[in-house]
Amino acid sequence: MRFRSLRALTLAFLLAFLLATIGTGFAIHGITLQTIERLVDRRILVVSDAIAGAPGDRRPADVFRRIDAAMRERDTGDIGLLLVDANGNRLGGNIALSRRLPLGFSTIARDDRIAGLSAGRALVRDVGGGMTLTTVAETEPFDDYNAARTRIYLIGFGSIVLIVVGGMVFFVVTIGRRIGETRRTVEAIIDGDMTRRVPIHPSGGEFAHQAMAFNRMLDRISDLMASISNVSNDIAHDLRTPLARLRSQLALALRRAETEAQRDDLEAAIAMSDELLAMFAAMLRIAEVEGGDRRAAFAALDLADLVREVGDMMQPVAADSGRQLDIAVDGPTRIVGDRQLLGQAMVNLIENAIRHTPAGTRIGIGVLATDAATTLTVTDNGPGIPADRRKLALRRFGRLDPSRHDAGHGLGLALIDAIVRLHRGTLSLEDADPGLRVVITLRRD
Amino acid sequence: MSLNLLLVEDDAVFAQAMAEELRGLDHCVTIAVDGREALAAVDSAPFDAVVLDRMLPRIDGMTVLERLRGSNMTLPVIMLTALGRSVEKVEGLEAGADDYVVKPVAAAELSARLAAVVRGRGWTGGSADTIRAGDIVVSPTKFRAWRDGIALDLGKLEFKLLAEFVANADAVLTRAMLVERVWGYDFAPTTNIVDVYVRHLRVKLTAAGGEDPIVTVRGVGYMLRG
Repeated sequence: MRFRSLRALTLAFLLAFLLATIGTGFAIHGITLQTIERLVDRRILVVSDAIAGAPGDRRPADVFRRIDAAMRERDTGDIGLLLVDANGNRLGGNIALSRRLPLGFSTIARDDRIAGLSAGRALVRDVGGGMTLTTVAETEPFDDYNAARTRIYLIGFGSIVLIVVGGMVFFVVTIGRRIGETRRTVEAIIDGDMTRRVPIHPSGGEFAHQAMAFNRMLDRISDLMASISNVSNDIAHDLRTPLARLRSQLALALRRAETEAQRDDLEAAIAMSDELLAMFAAMLRIAEVEGGDRRAAFAALDLADLVREVGDMMQPVAADSGRQLDIAVDGPTRIVGDRQLLGQAMVNLIENAIRHTPAGTRIGIGVLATDAATTLTVTDNGPGIPADRRKLALRRFGRLDPSRHDAGHGLGLALIDAIVRLHRGTLSLEDADPGLRVVITLRRD
Repeated sequence: MSLNLLLVEDDAVFAQAMAEELRGLDHCVTIAVDGREALAAVDSAPFDAVVLDRMLPRIDGMTVLERLRGSNMTLPVIMLTALGRSVEKVEGLEAGADDYVVKPVAAAELSARLAAVVRGRGWTGGSADTIRAGDIVVSPTKFRAWRDGIALDLGKLEFKLLAEFVANADAVLTRAMLVERVWGYDFAPTTNIVDVYVRHLRVKLTAAGGEDPIVTVRGVGYMLRG
């Protein structure tokens, strides 16, 4: 997977491109040299043939004459010639050789110390009578041809490589930036900011089209979300209004009731409608928290301070019901969040612990801050929740008592979970051995 | 406290029942069924306070409130609505509502809140450093309280609770009102936090003798006798 990243792909492409460029350079170099050699070889063969003459016309005097003529002529004036006898003694010509060259074609370098020649080709042939004719020609059209060629290669291929590398870097940075813009938008939307859109560059092109399509999709999603939210507002209105009527009708009946028994019945009915309304309020509260609107009101706060405040507040309530509430906090623990909602989550957790444990239970609330995360725990040494039923406890209306006769509407933990998720945290239920430990982990970033 | 109230509510059944209950609590109630009627009623007769439904036909509640406040009407207004989200509460309060109550609401709760907002208008505040109710004196600036000249040793929440009672002496404070004002929470705790704190406060108030000044109003809340 790593090799498919944009950067790795670019590097691989650049490497391939460099290899191809270098290969091309060497190939051109080699072919050029070969071609020049072939041309030079053909030329010295022609000159050598002319000087050597036909097999019957090879008297030394004739050969000398033809050498002199060739040296004087303009076409062949740049060709080096040397005639030696069987013992290697120089008989004529315009060059001297520092070593004996083999018969046939060979390559001459600067080491051969021929005046005015740095690279060339030589043809050595027997011209009869023990004499050997050497014909030499330069393979460089001008002096320091190699250095010039290297310069040409460096400048030519170097500028191509620079243009390609520059283009790739620009490309990678541009694509990376566009992808980054999209990713940041997606992250903002995951975090609940439905108003974010991908910026559209005025230059147009594929990315602008992509961004426009993406934004149209987001518009559509927020329209749908808005209509869902409208539906829930309508439900709120449509259901609360008849419930309000029901409750006020019952209250009126209570006022007119004549016997104690009637009053008791009506009070019970009012209590039931209040329970229904409390459940309804909890559902709307969860919907509100899940909507993420409250994140706009997030502010810096000291979680340890809030735990102390809520703990102090709940201690008399716990004591009143025969339970003990311990508070464990260290120094300040700064986080960003909604003080109201976090306070509600803590109050609800402590209330749960009071409600679901026998008298005499010890309840603890504490905060622990590490570099990576801030953890809020509410622990009790009551009966706890078996491991296989903890998931059920987190579900909406997921109550562990099948008879459902205990207090509460089964939305408490679901609301706490929604509050924790609003703070980009996680909620988990653990075994406190004995008892239940509720752990809220908030990321630090 | 007997108040002359305007109840703006388009739901006839609910309006009639609520009006009858409020009348039973000694208030005088006029009903308006939409926003236009409400504005006309406010122009033609003096009211002590308005109970205003947010969703109304023709002119909605928010617009009625904005027009009242726009024309410099300082009449106390309690918004009564089926919409209970925090943002909506904030919207209502920012538009100038004195209180925001989510439907349905018990008449006693509404009556207590109406009394509180009307009383709040008459309170001059500021001038005195201490507030007094009977033999109880509270100094909000010094965080000290005395009964019959003897200093009381109160926790922070107990002090805030007593100050709220003294400032609203002889008026019923519901549990929901106390949770909002003393604890500063916008949700209803499922345990008896208010009752526990009132009990502790009672113990401290009567520790040096004297009668219990806090009266329990069954099914509604508490009241401090002044």
